[in-house]
Amino acid sequence: MKETIKNTTVADRLLFLFLISISIAGIFISRDALSHNPDVVIEMDGKPAYTLPLYADRLLSVDGPYGDTLIEIKEGKVRVKEPHCPNQLCAKEGWISKGVIVCLPNKLVIIVGGSKKDQQPGLDAITG
Amino acid sequence: MQLQDKRRIAILSAYALALHGFESLLPTPIPWFKPGLANIITLVALILYGFRTALMVTLIRVVLASIFLGTFLGPAFILSAGGGIASVVAMGLTIKAFKNIFGAVGISLIGALFHNIAQLSLAYFLFIQRLEPVLIISPLILLIGALTGVVNGIISDILIKNLLKKDREKIQNTGV
Amino acid sequence: MKNYKLFLLLLFLCMLLSSCSSHKLSSYKKSKALLDTFVTITVVADSKDAADAAIDNAFDVIEKFGNLINFYSDSSELSAINRNAGIREVKVSPETLDIIEKAVYISEKSGGAFDPTIGPVIKLWDFLDKIKPTDAEIRKKLPLVNYKNIVIDRDKSTVLLKKKDMLLDLGGIAKGYAADLAVQALKQKGINAGLVAIAGDIKSFGLRPDKKPWVVGIKNPRQKNNDDEIIARINLSGTAISSSGDYERYFIINGQRFHHLLTPKTGHPANTCQSVTVIAEQGAMADAFSTALFILGPEKGLRLAKEIGLDAMIIDSKGSIHTTPGLEGILTIERNH
Repeated sequence: MKETIKNTTVADRLLFLFLISISIAGIFISRDALSHNPDVVIEMDGKPAYTLPLYADRLLSVDGPYGDTLIEIKEGKVRVKEPHCPNQLCAKEGWISKGVIVCLPNKLVIIVGGSKKDQQPGLDAITG
Repeated sequence: MQLQDKRRIAILSAYALALHGFESLLPTPIPWFKPGLANIITLVALILYGFRTALMVTLIRVVLASIFLGTFLGPAFILSAGGGIASVVAMGLTIKAFKNIFGAVGISLIGALFHNIAQLSLAYFLFIQRLEPVLIISPLILLIGALTGVVNGIISDILIKNLLKKDREKIQNTGV
Repeated sequence: MKNYKLFLLLLFLCMLLSSCSSHKLSSYKKSKALLDTFVTITVVADSKDAADAAIDNAFDVIEKFGNLINFYSDSSELSAINRNAGIREVKVSPETLDIIEKAVYISEKSGGAFDPTIGPVIKLWDFLDKIKPTDAEIRKKLPLVNYKNIVIDRDKSTVLLKKKDMLLDLGGIAKGYAADLAVQALKQKGINAGLVAIAGDIKSFGLRPDKKPWVVGIKNPRQKNNDDEIIARINLSGTAISSSGDYERYFIINGQRFHHLLTPKTGHPANTCQSVTVIAEQGAMADAFSTALFILGPEKGLRLAKEIGLDAMIIDSKGSIHTTPGLEGILTIERNH
């Protein structure tokens, strides 16, 4: 075995080093890219109920005191597609890619990009 | 095809099949982590007996293994076949193009690399169709591939040397 | 070698001990859905229990206040006022009376640029389905928009809307006002420093645990990517901040942007600003004046801010930033602007 390792050619070793370094670099790059993919957190009655990736399209129906609320995640944006609450403010928010949609009657909160890694460093809050 | 070739392919395929089956029995800590032990046989076949033999061994191994494991023509079979063929073709071309630059370890690395590239592309085009998850797992798979590629390459190299030594001894014995 | 290990062990123990040295002030943060939005309260306290109790109490205060002035709830005092528009005066609680008085005060000061009776015209627009009302439709509703038709009787604690079909909507001041109430409630529970953020309407008091002012980012009205979300940051200690922008609720037709900040006199969106941020002592002032200054535009807006003694940062329609002198030293514009 030692002999085999000793007998590897320069090209073998270079290839190995090359593959190892690009894959390790790739791991870091993809992890970095991953941290820019925020999650969608859906809270019901003040407690987190679902955590979904923002970049996986799907429809989700959640139950509340006023009935089902249909939430749509599409192409990195979230909206309340079909609300069943009196004021329907949540649907009027339209599509969001960051921030919060609240449906108070149904005690439903949808938070996009609210986790620590998505927040601006050094800020206590954001206005606007 | 000569009788000896057929016998050789049959024996090598049996070895490859055994390794493939053994590997599928191993508990996998991560779902897509596989050492690719059968590639050792492919590599040995390629270096000692040429491209045609290696390709035959790979095809027989992939088809029979999937029949035994009950995955014939399923997604796992497509991935396995695609990876196997890509790997043997890439290794064959490497030997042809850079005959003395790469040793068994280098060729094994090339094989592992193209095996993974083919599987990831197939998985992307046929099954997942979302770029992000594929890009995220790709570097990890390639890293594991590089490590197992080296190990397989070393084992192949030892095997090849032993086989050549035995052949030489045989020739010497008959020569005496 | 042994000494080395011993040293490591000691170091580890020291770290353990120092990490649980108690009664150190730190900040605690909690969020809740209230006022049809998301409220986050941060307080500086010496224990989590004290912080939790104070924050929960402040949430209750906000919720109770919200029930009084909820535009969409039939049981709110505000709905009672709207139902009885042109009919009779409605008796309301002190908080409701107070916020309406403040709203009218800001309307007067801004010459009607802020007007809480804009409701009937706002209702014509649908910023989600991109519905732009016709001029005739707007003209029909405009007579209903006039804060002067709000009649407040302080002594009897009643409010009357003079014309039938008038709508009073406190959405442009309620969040800032609620932040004031929450800060008051936190102080009553013995909290000396914190930050109440009701969506983008924020009120600070005291200093952070590191003895520095609170830092609030101001949103970039024309954000292009993840890195330019913030256009400026500002230090606050004891003041409130609010922003109004044309990027919150809007739609674009033929390159023209229609947003929710309507000029009360015309019923059309004001188009001389992209965003206005106001810093004031009171949250209610910051909230309502950010809308008023937006409607007035950079020039008149800055003049009004100086006259009343507010600080403001105005981004005009070309993207240039105008500020009052009072922001010098506490406002940092991000480097790429």
